[in-house]
Formats: sequence, C-alpha cells, structure tokens
Amino acid sequence: MARIRVGKPDVKPDTPSHVKGVRQGNAKGAYRHQAGHHKDDTADARRSTGIRPGKENPILPIMPNLSPS
Amino acid sequence: MAIEQQERVTPKPGQLVEMSWDPITRIIGNLGIYTKIDFENQRVAECHSTSSLFRGYSVFMKGKDPRDAGFITSRICGICGDNHTTCSVYAQNMAYGIKTPKLAEWIMNLGEAAEYMFDHTLFQDNMVFVDFCEAMVKGTNPSVLRRAATTDAPNAGIHGKRTIADIMQAFNPFEGDVYKEALTISRVTREMFCLMEGRHVHPSTIYPGGVGTMPSPTVFTDYLSRLINIIDFVKKAVALNDDVFDFFYQALPGYEEVGRRRVLLGCWGAFQDPEVVDYRYQTMNEWGKAMYVTPGIVVDGELVTNNLIDINLGIRILLGSSYYEDWVNEKPFVTEDPIGNPVDMRHPWNQTTLPAPQKRDFDGNYSWVMSPRWLDPRTGDHLALDTGGGPFARLYTTALSGLVDTPYVKSTGSSVQINLPKGPDLPEMTLEWRIPQWSNAIERNRARVYFVAYAAAMAVWFVERALERVRGGDTKVFQDFDVPDQAIGVGFHEAVRGVLSHHLVIEKGKIANYHPYPPTPWNGSPRDRYGTPGPYEDAVQDMPIFEENGPENFKGVDIMRAVRSFDPCLPCGVHMYLGKGRTLRKLHSPMFGGGHD
Repeated sequence: MARIRVGKPDVKPDTPSHVKGVRQGNAKGAYRHQAGHHKDDTADARRSTGIRPGKENPILPIMPNLSPS
Repeated sequence: MAIEQQERVTPKPGQLVEMSWDPITRIIGNLGIYTKIDFENQRVAECHSTSSLFRGYSVFMKGKDPRDAGFITSRICGICGDNHTTCSVYAQNMAYGIKTPKLAEWIMNLGEAAEYMFDHTLFQDNMVFVDFCEAMVKGTNPSVLRRAATTDAPNAGIHGKRTIADIMQAFNPFEGDVYKEALTISRVTREMFCLMEGRHVHPSTIYPGGVGTMPSPTVFTDYLSRLINIIDFVKKAVALNDDVFDFFYQALPGYEEVGRRRVLLGCWGAFQDPEVVDYRYQTMNEWGKAMYVTPGIVVDGELVTNNLIDINLGIRILLGSSYYEDWVNEKPFVTEDPIGNPVDMRHPWNQTTLPAPQKRDFDGNYSWVMSPRWLDPRTGDHLALDTGGGPFARLYTTALSGLVDTPYVKSTGSSVQINLPKGPDLPEMTLEWRIPQWSNAIERNRARVYFVAYAAAMAVWFVERALERVRGGDTKVFQDFDVPDQAIGVGFHEAVRGVLSHHLVIEKGKIANYHPYPPTPWNGSPRDRYGTPGPYEDAVQDMPIFEENGPENFKGVDIMRAVRSFDPCLPCGVHMYLGKGRTLRKLHSPMFGGGHD
C-alpha cells in the first residue's frame, strides 16, 4: 500500500450500489418478464400501454410493430 | 501548481533561455511545458512535460460494484466522458460474458460518431485555430500575414473565402464567422449525441448489456436531419483547413519540423460491427479487425500489428519520472490471459497505484503521469507511442490496414476515401485523406478535420443500418446478465483524442482492480526508466522556432502549435517566465490547487 496517511473511511466503497434482496434490473430473466417484449427481439403495443393494447397494434401483419415510447 | 518568478532579460548570444507554460491554456488544465530555448539558433534545446494533478481513479474504484464503473469513469473527463462510459461497457461486457444487442450497438456507434464530430469541431475551430488566426499570426509572424493577404485560396469555390488571410480572419475568436459557425455546429452535434446517449457528456442511457434509448424511428430521423444540415459545414471545413495548412508549408519552408517526431502511432479501434463483435477475449482479434476504425500500431510508417490481443499483451506501464512507488512487490491479479498467454506485472491488469507525492525535480521525478509504453516484440523496445491527437493515428491505421469497406468510407491501403452525401448547398463530395510524409503538428491538425468527415460519413451508414433493423420490427436494445464472482475484462475504444483502454478485474463480485488508460498519459508521459522521453517532449525537443519575436515578447506559438496538435487533455495553463538560464526559485506543490490556501 501507498505510504500516504489517510483517514478512516465513513462508508464502504460499495455503499451506493446494490442492496441485497432488491430485484436487479439487469438480472437474468428480467427481459423475459417485461410485458410486450418477445423472444424474437420484437415488441408489441403492450410494451407502451396496458389499456387495450391489442387495438394499438398495426393493422397488417407485414407492418413492423413500433409502439410509441 | 507552479508559481514562477518572472524576470525580463535579454539573453547573451549562445545562452539558453528557460521558458515554461504552466498550465497550457485552451485545454483542460494542468499540463506544464518547461523548455530551454536557444534563441541564437532558433531551436528548442530541451523540453519536459509535467502534470500537477493526481486523479486516483484506479485507487478509489477498488471495492465498488462493477456495474457502476461506466458512470464513475465517465467523470474522468468533462468533454469525452462518454468515451469512458462506452469503453467501460465494452470491458464489462467481456467480464459478464454478454454482448450488446445489434440495434443498441448501432445506437452507441451513432452516439460516439456525434461525439467525435462535436469535440473535434470545437477543438479544431475554436481552440487550435486560434493559433493560426489573423490576430495571432499578426503578433507572431507579420510577414506571413502580409503574404497570406496576397495568396489566393485554392478551394475558394467550396468555402467562399478569396484569400488565405480571409480564412485566417474568419477564425478570429469571438468575431470570425467560421469561429461562430463552429460553435453552432458543436451545439447541433451535441443534440445528435443526446438523442442517442441521453445526455452530454456523461451519458444516462449507456449500460453494460445495452442502452436505454427508445429505438423509435423518430430518434434516427431526428439524428439524420441534423447530420445532413451540418454536412456542408464539414465539407467547407476540410477545404478551409487544407488551404491554411498547405499555405504554412509554402510560406514557412521547414515548417514540417514543427512538432515532428518519428512515426510511432497507436490506435485501439472504434465503432464495433454488431454482426461480428461478441466481446469474447478469445475472438478479440476477429472483432477488433471488424471495427469501423481499425486498431493498430504503426512504427516508421509500417503497420506492426492490428491484432487487439497483441496490442493488449504488449502494454507496459513504466515509471521513471513519476510520483509513484513501484508495484512489483504487490499481488498480481492476472498472470495469464484467457487464452493462456502470460501477462506482465507491468500490464494494467496487474498495476497497483502507489502515489508518492514529492517535490518536482526535472532531474528526477517531475510528473503525476506515468509512462505507458508498448513493448515491440520484434526489437524488445518500449515504444513511446502517440495518438497524433487521435484522428491522425486512426486514419493512419485504418488506411494501412485496408479493412474498412463501406459505401461511405473506404480504406485503400494508402489512403481513406470519404463520401459525404448531398447537403443543403453543396453536392455529394468525395474526400481523400492520404498518408502524409511526416508525423508533425500540421498533419495532426489536418487529420482532425478529415476525421470529422469520417465520423459524419460513418454516421450516415450507421443510421441506415439501424433504421433497417427498426423497419424489420427489431426493438431489442438490452441484454440481461448476472455479475460474476470472478472475471476479467478489457475494453478498447478511441477517446476523441486517441487510444482508450479500460482494464477490469472482478473478485467476489466487486472491482478488485480497474485501470483506465486514456490518450493523454500516452502523449504527455514523462521520461521512462530507460530515459525515453514522452511524445510531447520528443516532439518539442530540438524543434525549430519560426516566430519572429525575440525573447522580450516571445509568445511561443510554434511550441503551442506542437503541443496543442496532440489535443492535450491533462487536467494543465500558460504563464511564461524568462530566466537567464540559471535555476529559478520555484514555489511548487505537487498537488493541483495545493498552492492556494
């Protein structure tokens, strides 16, 4: 270690990070549980709204499903 | 912070005059350049570059959650923070064993392209060109200005300025029209950046595993419409720069020696190809070569390697003139890379930062910057690579590698062809950057404006690819992952001003070692333990002086042009002192700001 004299830390270096027991957004499986997101990397209107999303989907199957943010 | 005593004297013939600029202005601040100038022979006799700022990122990153690394390391820089975030994301992707979804990769490329356009335009037109503008040249080389007023600009048809003096006038700070237009362009390119990465300069939507940008078609069309609106400025800027730089070669024969050093260049590559990159160390050679700016090391005009694994293993961090203790007796973190190659104790993966503040001594230790070098396996030399301010090395390695082949940018083996689409006023245009004869101040500056064009052309390509995916219904921009208990990772990217690497070691789910190596430690490094000077020192040492002023009112414009051509980013200003060649009384604290109480 360096020979610089430093004070005693008030907190641990990882204090602002993850708290045990809280769900992690990055955790494996998180993407699968996102409403409206499909396995083939596409999404539908359910991603944007929970109110009758089926009505907001494109009118033709050949159209890309690009829901608003 | 150095506080110097000023004495105005006239040197006797043959006497060396000490001159120093500390800190250097128009860059972020605490680079100091200390020189001895031989006014009789109009040459710089000796040069030392020094930094008075200790950062300590590698010290306080230890023990933190690795997912925070991108957000924390972004704060290293106030202008290219996003390059750090991106590089950190690359390193973390490797450590977590994941890859960014393809659409997210295009979004990151678009953000980084906007950053290059923004930062290079701001630095070139609002900072570098102050050294070449009418107001400056009038004060340093009046005869050159007189000649400029009668020299027609060869590219007047593109940019509309009749003479070279007209161009110089257009770059006068706060008054010149190009100076002012460049500020507007910086704003627009920043907006483009924010569309992709959420916020400038510390992105809010870039994470390991993907981005938080909503990939709606509007995001891409908003970006594209801004890009097409600035594309004519880019075409004009290249023409303006070419005219001024070519004129300097003509007006001041021998000017190619200013800031000249041996061609020793490094580029770590930028713009991932989503179809190829998987962030595995084992395949780093393949995806490194697929990048849209090819990584590589060039020695004396010859490409030594463009394999990122070789580049990684050859990095050595040397001491010699830095305020640190050696770490050879500390614990090594990585003894072998994932494919079994031995990793040196002086490699960033194994480095432990042991700061030892002390008084500046130009015969001993004089800088907080360490000396990163690259071990040439052919000769065993520790090469002091420079980045040529970024664009120079990027264009050089890309041109020599001959790997980039898109409709907008094509590498030919000796040049890079850049096709810019039609803009509001100017038609479609093909520009060509050819490998120049020298690695000097003028060529570093010239490359910068060509790289703005490169980034603009690549951005058109990225928008097209991204929109293609969106039109196909792809909306996936994030990949989930778990943080492993133990892992190592490395990210290679190009910060705006050159090479950027982040080396990461995770133990028990926390950061055990983290070493970001941005471009300025390479460029601004002091003499290493073998006595090899760093690139600034090397470029300025033995450089001819063309300024017409004597020691009484010396501005040092040639030295400043040489140092600023590297786009220095040490947190360094310019006060100057004139001495008699004797040791001046120096009141100095090794800590930035430590002298102000």
